[in-house]
Amino acid sequence: MQLALFLSVCLIAACGLIYELVAGALASYLLGDSVTQFSTIIGTYLFAMGIGSWLSRFVVRGVVTRFVIIELLVGVVGGLSSLALFLAFAYTEAFRPTLYALVLLIGTLVGLEVPLLMRILKDRFSFKDVVANVLTFDYIGALVASLLFPLLLVPRLGLVRSALLFGLINVAVGLWSTWLFRDVLPRRRWLQGAGILAMAVLGAGLWKGQAITTLAEEGMYADPIILAKDTRYQRIVLTSWKDDLRLYLNGHLQFASRDEYRYHEALVHPGLAASRARGRVLVLGGGDGLAVREILKYSDVQRVTLVDLDEGMTALFQAHPRLTALNERALTDSRVTVVNADAFTWLAANSAQFDFVIVDFPDPSNYHVGKLYTSAFYRLVKQHLAPGAFIAVQSTSPMFARQSYWSIVTTLEGAGLRTWPYHVYVPSFGEWGFVIAGLDSYAPPRELPAGLRYLTASAVPSLFDFPADMQRVPAEANRLNDQVLVRYYEHEFDAINR
Amino acid sequence: MTTRRALLQQFACGLAAVVATPLGLPAAPALLGLSRKGRVVRGGFVDDDAGVGHALRDGTAALPAGRPERRVAVAIVGGGIGGLSTAWRLDALGLTDWTLLELGARVGGNARSAEYPGLGGQRAPWGAHYLPVPAEDAVHVRALCRELGILGANGEWDERVLCHSPQERLWQHGRWHEGIDPRDAATPEVRRQFVRFEQLTAEWRESGMFRVPSAEGHRVRTEAIRRGGEAAKVARAVQRLDTMSANAWLREQGLDAPALRWWVEYGTRDDYGASLQQASAWAAVHYFAARPTEEEGPLTWPEGNDYLVRALSQRLSRGRDAHGQERIRAHSPVVQLERRGTTWQLDTPRERIVADAVVWAAPLFVLPRVCRAVSLPVEIEYAPWVVANLVLDCMPEERGATLAWDNVVYGSASLGYVNAQHQGLGQPRPTQLWTWYHAVTDRPAREARQSLQQQPWSVWRDTIINDLQRAHPDIAERLLRVDVKRWGHAMARPVPGTLARVESLRTWKPAPHLFMAHADLSNLSLFEEAQWHGVQAAANVVRALR
Repeated sequence: MQLALFLSVCLIAACGLIYELVAGALASYLLGDSVTQFSTIIGTYLFAMGIGSWLSRFVVRGVVTRFVIIELLVGVVGGLSSLALFLAFAYTEAFRPTLYALVLLIGTLVGLEVPLLMRILKDRFSFKDVVANVLTFDYIGALVASLLFPLLLVPRLGLVRSALLFGLINVAVGLWSTWLFRDVLPRRRWLQGAGILAMAVLGAGLWKGQAITTLAEEGMYADPIILAKDTRYQRIVLTSWKDDLRLYLNGHLQFASRDEYRYHEALVHPGLAASRARGRVLVLGGGDGLAVREILKYSDVQRVTLVDLDEGMTALFQAHPRLTALNERALTDSRVTVVNADAFTWLAANSAQFDFVIVDFPDPSNYHVGKLYTSAFYRLVKQHLAPGAFIAVQSTSPMFARQSYWSIVTTLEGAGLRTWPYHVYVPSFGEWGFVIAGLDSYAPPRELPAGLRYLTASAVPSLFDFPADMQRVPAEANRLNDQVLVRYYEHEFDAINR
Repeated sequence: MTTRRALLQQFACGLAAVVATPLGLPAAPALLGLSRKGRVVRGGFVDDDAGVGHALRDGTAALPAGRPERRVAVAIVGGGIGGLSTAWRLDALGLTDWTLLELGARVGGNARSAEYPGLGGQRAPWGAHYLPVPAEDAVHVRALCRELGILGANGEWDERVLCHSPQERLWQHGRWHEGIDPRDAATPEVRRQFVRFEQLTAEWRESGMFRVPSAEGHRVRTEAIRRGGEAAKVARAVQRLDTMSANAWLREQGLDAPALRWWVEYGTRDDYGASLQQASAWAAVHYFAARPTEEEGPLTWPEGNDYLVRALSQRLSRGRDAHGQERIRAHSPVVQLERRGTTWQLDTPRERIVADAVVWAAPLFVLPRVCRAVSLPVEIEYAPWVVANLVLDCMPEERGATLAWDNVVYGSASLGYVNAQHQGLGQPRPTQLWTWYHAVTDRPAREARQSLQQQPWSVWRDTIINDLQRAHPDIAERLLRVDVKRWGHAMARPVPGTLARVESLRTWKPAPHLFMAHADLSNLSLFEEAQWHGVQAAANVVRALR
């Protein structure tokens, strides 16, 4: 009996701490600035526990019954808190109010637990033993929870299931108490019924957790979604916050209108401005038309061919008013031809020659996209180069994915091209890398077209300078039959995401 | 590009996966062809030419009167790799007056493929689906590859036809793992056995008596015995391997780890349609020792080796015989083959062909059935196979490494499946087309063939669902079609005694101006062997007719 009682103290304490940690971790994940989030949540939580302790004085009659009710309530509220926060973040504007309201509520309930329990126990043990034992087990529970949380729960179960699991434990303690205190507990059946119902609710939460988190995930963008669309190939989500427009493909950020000009100016101009001829330009990928917008800044560009797999994407950037404002109607310009085809098969099927080629694909995060970064692909691009033409390739981050970046350079070289690697800083992406490749010798342009916001001709040569932490590392070439790049990329981004 | 949002997304997706798996209910096997959601799995048996074959066996094939007669220098019987290679080589040697008679609707033999117009004309193999990168020994294979533009003048292979990444994966311990090496989770003792096995095969490789094409290995071995000494000892050890089963040899070597035995048997089933008990130890060693431990993936195409067949037959179709006629004839089973004076007379239901020489490029067991004067000097055991092409509406559930070219389930009776769309250059479509391979090794060949004849299609549909359900719990819900091809005599099985059989076939002269060109002569069903015998037959024909 004694051990059972103090064990339940231990469990209660663990549950209480888990809810607090879940709230803190979730807020850090979602809002960033973990120091602020953890500080304010711990503060609020401890303060709420104080409120609970103070409120306990108003519980006069039926202490055991109320203790069990509080256990069940904490279990349900705490258990569902993580799910509720995910949903609130995804679907409401009121994430912070929900967060602190929940933390206050849970803290208050947890604050009620220990005083009530001490009062229940005071008739069974001496006061000094009650205080000593309850607090001892309370702190042991806290230690266990704080160790379990980062080491086992988050990696194995994740935040939603951890909270639900401890909610279930909390309710189980409540149910167990109905048995421990069966001699002093009236309306036991009613409480047990409520406990089983609570378990069912939490169990259902565990069961349906997938559907709910998927639902939440869809809304998991920082800013209000102004458009969400499933095309044949991907999910396009457009968010808007004040004047910043962001495009996500399958959840990956493609650009933020606030700083995309840095990316697209850097992708296009160092190569194109240095080009001897600019009559025919080919863009592979880049269905947002932002690279095309930059290309059209040259009056001697006669024809731009854009090959993008996804018709849904190019149609959107030809029609949506905010997007056409961003790409300056580049995709409906009379000089531009949009082809919706797979770049690899399109290149293999025709023999057109181009004076400049932009290769702007998503990062090589899987073997399918990885095919577009192979020596076989670059050899094919090479066959489409007019004499003296250059290619500019978006090549992921030389900072976060250093070996991946240099593997792309090695691959281009393996395809028989000379390379000039360079990089720029794009605030929403970080350090970003590109490669100019061609058969002839490249020299940075002396002049850039008018109307650029970031690049200046005098700054271009400095882009080719790599600081020590981004300098070349040994990397193998990426081949269709040995896609090392996908493995490098996976490995490097795993290291960051941990 | 990785922002906190992206991190969170991955986190949430991972979360969803963790929540989903332990709670997902195992899918029930499809009952009566209906999936859980009430969808019908379509499909059936695909024509396997068995009807024509059995008519030849039973002597019931009709030969209508008044068929036209055609005169050619050489008649090639059978349009598999052996026959096509004979024709290819005859053209190269300047003897273009030949005709090739194919029993079925299309040439290609084991390398034929299926076409799925509903999937944008996507093709999938019915049998042979890859060619290991030929070593310097395989001069004719390399010559063909050079001719087809697969092998560049600089000795570099066209990256596009080398097997793309990821090549293989293995289902083991509840998830897919990259690569099909089962030793990743093995104990030190098991690893030690793998190392020992590799040492043994490396020693045999060193001997130079295991080669592809195998004829070169046989030559080195017999030469060594003739010369005597140390080399002869090795040669005799090689011959001793052929007196026992792979099973007995592994046991003799103390190699009993189940993972290793599985690994070796995967090889004997894959290449020979033989279990460890059925395969000769010589053949098992040949599988591992005859090729260099390759670095580049094999050569493969969406339609399998039918790519080579179609490229080859396209070239051959450009030529004409001495009378300006088409040379390759489908639907032309040779019902009777008779020597008349100094010529051969070949009767098909459509015509009678009179030829100076005949190259028999069909399975050897058929020859005595159509040419009563000939009997085989050896008995050949043929392995039955079942190959199925599966169409799925989208990728089924799974865990671990992503879809590869070759997908193998550890411990399964099947050989797993090959993703027919793997070699495509474009981004993949959601619809899946997989080729499932199964060598029937669980009973004697004859009995297995009978059961293949008797079992209805639904048995194979359910066998396949049960086989793949381990790795893909919802496979029954995803399947749209199961098209099954039964190969009663898929390949000559190298049971012990292979070396003696090969030697008697090598010196066998059944009749004047009758030449053999089939992988059966090597007792190994490999592209390189079939081509080798085709090339030899062509040379012999030219020598005989000039």
